[in-house]
Amino acid sequence: MAQTFKTLRDSDRTTTRTLLHEMVPITGTIASGTYTDLNIKNYSHGMFQSVYDYPYLSGSANHIFDLTVGYSATSALSASASSQNAKKINIYNEMAQVLVGFDVTGNVRPFDRDGDLSGNTGKINEAIFICFSRLLMKDEIKKGSFSLTVATGGVYSAPEDNLTLTDSGSTTDYRVNSPAGEYGVLYDTRGKRLGLLYYQAGIAVLTASIFGNLSNDAVTTVAGDSDNPLIPVTASNYFSSENGTATPGESSVVHALTGSEISGNCDGFRNRLVTMEFQNTTELNSTIYFCRANHNEFNYSSNPTYLTGSKIRVKGDLADLPPVAYITTIGLYSPDRVLMAVAKLSEPIRKDPTRDFTMRVRLDF
Amino acid sequence: MAFLDNSGDIILDAVLTDEGRMRMAKGNFQITHFAFGDDEIDYSLFDATTGSVYMDVTLAQTPVLEAFTNNASSMHSKLMTVTNMSHLYLPILELNEVFAGTSTAKHSSENFVLCVTEDTEDLFSAVTGIINAYTRDDGKYIRVDQGIDNADVPPGSIIDPELNETQYMIDIDNRLGSIISSAGATSARLSFIDDDGIARYYLSAPAAGRFVFDNDIFTASPSTQVISGARGTVLQFRISPSIDLTSNSALFDKIGSTVSVEGTTVKNIDAYVRVTGVTTGYRIDIPVRFIRKV
Repeated sequence: MAQTFKTLRDSDRTTTRTLLHEMVPITGTIASGTYTDLNIKNYSHGMFQSVYDYPYLSGSANHIFDLTVGYSATSALSASASSQNAKKINIYNEMAQVLVGFDVTGNVRPFDRDGDLSGNTGKINEAIFICFSRLLMKDEIKKGSFSLTVATGGVYSAPEDNLTLTDSGSTTDYRVNSPAGEYGVLYDTRGKRLGLLYYQAGIAVLTASIFGNLSNDAVTTVAGDSDNPLIPVTASNYFSSENGTATPGESSVVHALTGSEISGNCDGFRNRLVTMEFQNTTELNSTIYFCRANHNEFNYSSNPTYLTGSKIRVKGDLADLPPVAYITTIGLYSPDRVLMAVAKLSEPIRKDPTRDFTMRVRLDF
Repeated sequence: MAFLDNSGDIILDAVLTDEGRMRMAKGNFQITHFAFGDDEIDYSLFDATTGSVYMDVTLAQTPVLEAFTNNASSMHSKLMTVTNMSHLYLPILELNEVFAGTSTAKHSSENFVLCVTEDTEDLFSAVTGIINAYTRDDGKYIRVDQGIDNADVPPGSIIDPELNETQYMIDIDNRLGSIISSAGATSARLSFIDDDGIARYYLSAPAAGRFVFDNDIFTASPSTQVISGARGTVLQFRISPSIDLTSNSALFDKIGSTVSVEGTTVKNIDAYVRVTGVTTGYRIDIPVRFIRKV
């Protein structure tokens, strides 16, 4: 019986897993400047701010990341007089319970600079959260590829003193004690631990102290924590445009965290964002089908042009000439012979009884 | 779709079809077979007379389009495995419009015109190619013959059993109609309907309704036969209009238009029915026109 379909046996298929990486550079001017904040979406609930790569009312805008800030209920900044105090605590707790989890008594664990959740040292009680959209980070952020530069000094209108944080060394040194997957520590060039990067969750957690010595603003410094305090606050060390005064510390990150709403803090962070880049990861699970055409198979065609008056054109008048056909397409079919996938060759391949082929068709999922 | 870059290495551009994605969503995605296609190839460019390496130069330069995701748009002609390499002739499918005179002929508009309501049928009296699809009372049907259409292989000879079609598949837009036997008494068993609403029927030789049977006329008989050489099997069927067409004209208004048939203006939907031989993969598209009284 002539056949047009050939059965794929178990040995004709295999599966593979491939990690695909793309570089994602985000310049600070996208986050603040280029589109005069038309690409910044604030919400009436005021819990976070969304950043797009184009004015968000345009259909071609892509959501790239969300910003928000929060502090722990145990932070010295937490006070009923603080602006959006409950919302900032809620944000912190939400992120902490998702990213750090709960202790054995069911209490939310705070963020810890080095990932050692035991003890009370090295906690990040005031944090800035950068939540990357899935469009950017895909399945996860590639370990060791993250870099973030922010201006920590200067006035609001002219930020300066760039500080670069990276997750260097995270390809071999990362933590796995998070319910949200793996995470690495963000270091500055001096090796100070200033944040955490959750690779699968696509969330960067930065300590707010990168923008100021919180102890100078009456925040208790934890004894023995070499990563805190960091940068001395000066009269010019403005963070946010809100609550700005010339009084030393009055415009610091502390005053922004306590006196400004979450959106004001996000504005301050965006204003100081110089650049950010990472590589995303797409996990491709592939099935490879080996479509084998033996020498004695697929040598004729049902193409209407193959025949003229039922006579095979490629043979002329000689029956003993071998049949010839040309492959341009490979169809993969279901048991009921419905076309499930189709693969095209970039040029026709001659098939005759002197040739056999194995076509590898890879389907990515 | 664009053409694939054929300036360098041979590459494969593979995509899931829309039906494949739908089945994946439903959880019944499975691939068990493959086939090779050559839709873009024009074999008339093959010059067998040169007997040299240049016989297929033009043909081998045929640009190939990117893959279509519509499952019905690809793999129209397939490569075939036949044990015997010395065949000089292959059987084809051909519409037989002469077998039963006006009962199997197309209309002068080159369509089989199908009246979907009784009052539409009443507009036309015994017009060749206009079929009473609603009442099925006119004995008309569509007949497809298989065989080698070349007198060099006489009608009395036997087609290689390897090339004889014993099963056919028919694709038809399920919104428009379904396949029934030529006598109108038996419905063909529906195999499946794809994501685009195309229904597929598999019809085999021994099935009820006598859809497929051997052609046992071994003389030339040009008055009833269109295959001039060796003959294989015959497929004959009718098309029953769907309830969507018989109950109201909404679908005509949506995807159809109006046309004059035998001087009478009627609503129409033009479509085609695809008949494919399962053994050889050879296929023909049969044009049909569903009409409804305005």
